[in-house]
Amino acid sequence: MDKRDVILATDKLCKSFTAGAQEQQVLKNLDIEIYENEFTVIMGSSGAGKSTLLYALSGMDKPTGGAVRFFGADIAGLSHDKLAVFRRQNCGFIFQHMFLLDNMSILDNILAGGLLIRGDKKAIVAEAKELLGKVGLTETIWRKFPAQLSGGENQRAAIVRALINKPRVVFADEPTGSLNSAAGQAVLDVLTDVNKGGQNIVMVTHDLKSARRGNRILYIRDGVMCGECDLGKYVSGDQARHDKLRVFLSEMGW
Amino acid sequence: MHAWANIGKTKSVSGTLAIIFLIAALLLNAGLLVVVNYGNFFESLKEELLPADAYYCMSDILYTEEVKSYLDGNEHVQKVQAHDVRWLSTQIIYQGKEQSFAVLFNDMDEPREMCKWKIVENGSSNGRGAMPGVKDAPMPVYVPDIFKAVGGYQLGDPIELKYTEAQTGGEKTLAFTVQGYTEDIFFSSIDVGFVSFYLPGETYQEVADILNDPLYKAHVVFTNVDDINNVAVIEGGIQEILGLNSASLVAVDFSALFAAVDLSLIEMARCMMANMVAAMMVVFALVLVVVCLLVVRFRIVNSLEEDVVNIGSLKSMGYTSQQIILSVILQFCLIAGAGSLAGIALSYPALPAVSMVFEQQSGLKWEQGFDGGVSSAAFLAIELIVVSVAWLSARHIGKLSPVSALRMETSARKYSRNYLPLEGAASVASESRLPMLLALKSVVHNMKQTVMIVTILIAVTFVGAYGVIMYYNTSVDTKAFAEVPGMEICNAIAMLNPGLDQTQAVQAIEGMDAVRKGQYLDEVKLRVEGTDVAAVVMETYAGKESMLVYEGRYPLSDHEIVLAGILAERLHKTVGDTVAVGFGDQEEVFNVVGLSNGSSMGGLNTSILTRDFLRFNPDFKHQSLYIYLAKGTDAAGFIEDLETVFKDRFEDQADQKMLLGTVNFDKELASGMASYQSIVAAMGLVMLVITGCVVALVLYFVISSSVIRKRRELGIQKAIGFTTFQLMNQISIGFMLPIFVGAAVGSVLGAYYTNPLMSVVMRGMGVMKAGFIVDPYWVVAFGAATVVASYLLSLLISWRIRKISAYALVAE
Repeated sequence: MDKRDVILATDKLCKSFTAGAQEQQVLKNLDIEIYENEFTVIMGSSGAGKSTLLYALSGMDKPTGGAVRFFGADIAGLSHDKLAVFRRQNCGFIFQHMFLLDNMSILDNILAGGLLIRGDKKAIVAEAKELLGKVGLTETIWRKFPAQLSGGENQRAAIVRALINKPRVVFADEPTGSLNSAAGQAVLDVLTDVNKGGQNIVMVTHDLKSARRGNRILYIRDGVMCGECDLGKYVSGDQARHDKLRVFLSEMGW
Repeated sequence: MHAWANIGKTKSVSGTLAIIFLIAALLLNAGLLVVVNYGNFFESLKEELLPADAYYCMSDILYTEEVKSYLDGNEHVQKVQAHDVRWLSTQIIYQGKEQSFAVLFNDMDEPREMCKWKIVENGSSNGRGAMPGVKDAPMPVYVPDIFKAVGGYQLGDPIELKYTEAQTGGEKTLAFTVQGYTEDIFFSSIDVGFVSFYLPGETYQEVADILNDPLYKAHVVFTNVDDINNVAVIEGGIQEILGLNSASLVAVDFSALFAAVDLSLIEMARCMMANMVAAMMVVFALVLVVVCLLVVRFRIVNSLEEDVVNIGSLKSMGYTSQQIILSVILQFCLIAGAGSLAGIALSYPALPAVSMVFEQQSGLKWEQGFDGGVSSAAFLAIELIVVSVAWLSARHIGKLSPVSALRMETSARKYSRNYLPLEGAASVASESRLPMLLALKSVVHNMKQTVMIVTILIAVTFVGAYGVIMYYNTSVDTKAFAEVPGMEICNAIAMLNPGLDQTQAVQAIEGMDAVRKGQYLDEVKLRVEGTDVAAVVMETYAGKESMLVYEGRYPLSDHEIVLAGILAERLHKTVGDTVAVGFGDQEEVFNVVGLSNGSSMGGLNTSILTRDFLRFNPDFKHQSLYIYLAKGTDAAGFIEDLETVFKDRFEDQADQKMLLGTVNFDKELASGMASYQSIVAAMGLVMLVITGCVVALVLYFVISSSVIRKRRELGIQKAIGFTTFQLMNQISIGFMLPIFVGAAVGSVLGAYYTNPLMSVVMRGMGVMKAGFIVDPYWVVAFGAATVVASYLLSLLISWRIRKISAYALVAE
């Protein structure tokens, strides 16, 4: 394998949750690496710890043990507020349920994140509008509230919100999970295009069609890394790529 | 079950709401108990102690056979009983400092048919003699209960009365031992007339022997009359016999004692403060109930948004809208019920403190037991209002379909207009200003909540500003408060002998270094439209310093009169009308040129010029010279100087004394007003404290509810990079705008409407148009402090959002 730049790495990452007297260990001494310019997909069965890993990697949640290194710097020990600043500067998020602020218009939702970053504010507004145009959301839609749009439109708006700060990594948690097939494909098209533009993407999914868009698949089970599959040499949409993924997942017992 | 579950789920906000109800119910129940029962208490005390309609207290030198015959034969007098007493103008240590008292010594062995008194606490097992455990207690005395409640005297304590001996002018002391405490209608309090000390027969005899100068010998004559208004007529008759032209009680220490006090005046004095305090407690409680209701409505609307999915689930399971609405109503009835019951229960142990406040002024010990009727009414009134508001707020559940509820369509669809778009404000939206912009958006988007906060803040800051103003007037600048009874405020009064030429004496007084000015002011009796009234007589009103006229002006020319507001209302007269003014057989028509505040003679008082009164009574001569001293001058020291001057320059020039007496007005005023001032100051402080608590509780409630309601929104913001402090600021600033508007409006309303409100409350005291000082700096400082404290409080409360993690949001 070629020498690639590691942007994110975990070192014996552990995460456990306590429910009453019982402690449940979700991530168990997990060691993974995320590389530059990749569309990394994290897969696994339900309850395997995919989302927990995603949020530990993104600084959304603190691990209970081990380290998360972002370009070599451990972020696991940062305070909540420092993690907030870290997220606004380095991370973009796309959630299954979009989580747009329902009391703000689509454009305001995007600017609420964008304006947190220092820089030319007018340029940020222009950037937001350009990105919205790129994902196919017209000016009429910018002025509307999330509740007035379809799920697909909202998710595309959420993608723009994730990209507005020019983050180093975009984290997507089941981004097509609550969308119909057509809307899901449109969202994946946007993410693929974004990745082709040089943006790092880490996506959690249990959907095969979605996973096929990635060029590196990590499979975890019961909080432990079970294997990885490199699809980077295959052309997107290629049958061979599809077959390779199926075989890998089959081997993983998916 | 659903109601219980909801209360359990929102323990902190439910608890806060219950506490607000607790405070409201406590004040409401206590206020109602005072309103309903204090008057009854005074009535039952009257039935028990059989007070006379009036008493006339006069030195034996005035209580002549002619006066006795006049009283016995007067057509208005139904019953008379006279008692031999000793009286003393004295100084007693009271509340730790020396104060002036006019004390009547009574022989407790002398039987009474009228105006009885009772022992409320007795240090002697047989009601007499030595204190238990204290052998041979010297000079036992039974003092009014107020000496214990306020004065600080315990059973067995020595009590010393300092006085100036009539003949020698030397300082003397009468020492007693407190044997017990008494209560009676007329002589229990220190604010009107005399206080009575009751002595066992042998002790009384001992005191009578010490105070054997004729000046100390007096009679108190209890009379029952056919009409209480005739008390003044009889008083006028006695004065006519005696040739007195002034019966000012403040001049009790000049030689010839004459005082008349009627039951209506005492009743007003004893109950007025209680009624005033009760009225304010009830009004304040009602303000709090309104605040509670606004909060209930806010909470219901919020909880319906939060629980919309649960409502959808319940509906889909087959629950009817009515069942769900009933569970909401039950939830808030339980909260209001728990708070109200606790408040009502706490009001009973709190009442002795209220009673103690009243006792400070009335000297009467009011003990209130449980009153099921009043407390049930308070409880039911609160519950009924809560049920109504809860039903009105929750009734639209009926229109919500299960599908809409499950899709959370109550909240999501309500936004239709994007106020304050960030695009337009992008150029100013720095990292630190962005939370402010988002806060402003929140203010506009949550307009109902904004209006609610503004309304609540207006209500509570109005009450708070009122409290500040009353505190200022009773503790900082007390001039306006001192003018309430309608007195001219000076520093000292010199009672000059009307039988002598006073010109040189007045010039001498006015020439003294400390004297700023002097002017005559006497009070006489007149008839206006057939009603006996008191009349202030002055040579000119230009120098008057207490401007009591609230409409029109003081008399400038002949035949001009100012009527007290109460009298004007009674006579249906106003400025510009004419009235018939009579004295003896004479009657003249006067023009009403002004209306004034003042409770003297139950509000039946007037003001005229000296030259007008001289037409009625050519023999009239002024004798009360009101003396105004330079700022910072000690009135007691001045009086000493004054007495020295008169002794040196005037006493030897005539057989008669020129200076009949002096009144330390500053001291009399301070002791006379002390109880009123302390009550109103305490009330102002209590209102301020409660206002502070309510603002804190309401803010806690609203911000907590808001954080619960917005946890999704806050979680999203955290996820995209907002720090906890930015979000705290966003929340706090979002509340600041309505708080600022509410506090500003409430303070301004407080500043403008305190006097009109006090005019209504103090109407019974003759204050038709209150003129309390509204110091703008104090009111502005109060408003600013409310806003700053609210901001800090909101920051503190919103600190809890640190617990909302972005991950928790996703995990939900």
